[in-house]
Amino acid sequence: MIWALLGPELLLAIFALAVILLDLAVKQKGVLAVFSIVGLLGSIGASLALWGTNGIALNNMLVIDKYALFFDVLFAAAAILVILASTDYVEKLKGFQGEYYALILLATTGMMFMASTRELVSIYISLELTSISLYILAGFLKDAKSTEAGLKYLLLGSVSSAVLVYGMALVFGTTGGTHLGVIWNAVKGLNGIADNPTLIMGIVFLVAGFGFKIATVPFQMWVPDVYEGAPTPVTAYLSVASKAAGFAVILRVFFEAFGRAPWLSQSWGMLFAILAAITMTVGNVVAINQTNIKRLLAYSSIAHAGYIMMGLAAVGLMESQLALARSGILFYLAGYGLTNLGAFIAIIAISNNTGSDLIDDYKGMVRRAPVLSLGLAFTLISLTGLPPTAGFVAKIYLFNAALQSGLLWLVIVGVLNSVISAYYYLRVVKTMYLGEPASTERLSSSGPLRVALTASCFGVLFLGVLPNTVIQVTEAIKFLVS
Amino acid sequence: MSFLADYGYIGLFFVVSVVFALTTVLIPQILTALGVIPSKPSPAKSATYECGMDTIGKSWVQFNFRYYFLALLFLVFDIETVFLYPWAVAFNKLGLFGFVEMVIFVGILVVAYLYAWKKKAFEWK
Repeated sequence: MIWALLGPELLLAIFALAVILLDLAVKQKGVLAVFSIVGLLGSIGASLALWGTNGIALNNMLVIDKYALFFDVLFAAAAILVILASTDYVEKLKGFQGEYYALILLATTGMMFMASTRELVSIYISLELTSISLYILAGFLKDAKSTEAGLKYLLLGSVSSAVLVYGMALVFGTTGGTHLGVIWNAVKGLNGIADNPTLIMGIVFLVAGFGFKIATVPFQMWVPDVYEGAPTPVTAYLSVASKAAGFAVILRVFFEAFGRAPWLSQSWGMLFAILAAITMTVGNVVAINQTNIKRLLAYSSIAHAGYIMMGLAAVGLMESQLALARSGILFYLAGYGLTNLGAFIAIIAISNNTGSDLIDDYKGMVRRAPVLSLGLAFTLISLTGLPPTAGFVAKIYLFNAALQSGLLWLVIVGVLNSVISAYYYLRVVKTMYLGEPASTERLSSSGPLRVALTASCFGVLFLGVLPNTVIQVTEAIKFLVS
Repeated sequence: MSFLADYGYIGLFFVVSVVFALTTVLIPQILTALGVIPSKPSPAKSATYECGMDTIGKSWVQFNFRYYFLALLFLVFDIETVFLYPWAVAFNKLGLFGFVEMVIFVGILVVAYLYAWKKKAFEWK
């Protein structure tokens, strides 16, 4: 029964419509948040119930394997944390709470489809479902900064979508199919780079189009402005789920369609290796000078995209490393997701009180909000990659995969970058713990925010102390290839 | 070689289109120069549109923002019609599955309609 296979996605789509209708009927808008979380939990339940099935649905366009289901759970969990963190925030969105939750659910649905589709046109459609929802969410506050963020995201995102479609057209032109399996069958029969400039051109366009979503360096210009202007919960969601969805698609597309012919995979593997080195260096170096914490985390998220791309490079350069590198990417995305959400939740709680995102206003925060400061410090340590946190294990695990593929130089660049990143992450921690507070007024935070922060911090700690339990899961994850 | 031949076909179209455009533009010019056609310009002849209304004012005026809502709503129902037509033509072949699918599709649009209604998008004030 194919509808059962599509359970996680369909459930969310139905809940999104139901939230819109419910919004028209109820006065008490808190119900909407609860209702959305119920839908997301249901979706996680459906994914876990399907765990282990290898199904194909809708004319072989969707594939339901552990890889897709892992991402389903990741996106839904991120969405739950984001919704918990937005309960205070949506008070500011007068009269648009229903749309806010519905759009988050729709964006999540799109991402879930992105992780499980194996056909270029449906990849594009699910990508647009995600992007259009996120464009609106980025401009949701309707003030000058937020509008600028929304418009910038919309314009640059549309250009990148056009580039992506152009790449898909070129790939379709050379291989005669939009299904990844068909493309692979055609690629198998080709004989080298020199004879197929159109295909290479198409692949470069695909890298550019997807590179926008994951914010690799030549396509990262939108990130700081959009992250700064968008409502902070949306920024958190963008930096975690949207990025993870991009990686989910890239890994599946590039491995299944172009990954098993060494002449081709080594060229895109090297492309990703070089992009990874540039991306992490630019992200980390520019982050040093930031005075706004949201901009700082924006550049840090660019740097992390660079680290994760090391895994893609490892897959491209050595096909035998697929299992290790894929597991490394999945673990990194989970660890990075929890950590970044935790950091953003702490920032939301602080800025709800102080109304400012400047790092200078975090002076002496530990005396005004000890628990929030501890949470933020802990997640920043995890982003740096120090033990005993998820970030530490994830980095070692992924660097190891790159090393096994012979990317020693890239690992050295990665380690040097982690050292650079320690400077600006720990500077925030220093400001919070050693600075003199401007006022002694205690900060207050709402219940849902505290629950979300505690959950993500414990998740980070758990992945850092007992990584084996999760690594066993990620190592068992395979995707179906045709 | 068939590759080049395909492009040759496109090239042929290109040449024909250029020649056609140039000829139609040049014929009146040449005939005027030869004195076959008398040159008698009048305001009616040099108007932008020979038939239809004269435009009033400039086209760079501001439109009322509410037209935007109407355009969006129109789009929703336009797409609905576009999908309903082929569905209705093939209704007998699609059977129950097609019927249920269309009910779901219309159901989604009804949600959009209810939303627009409740948000007062239909009211002109």
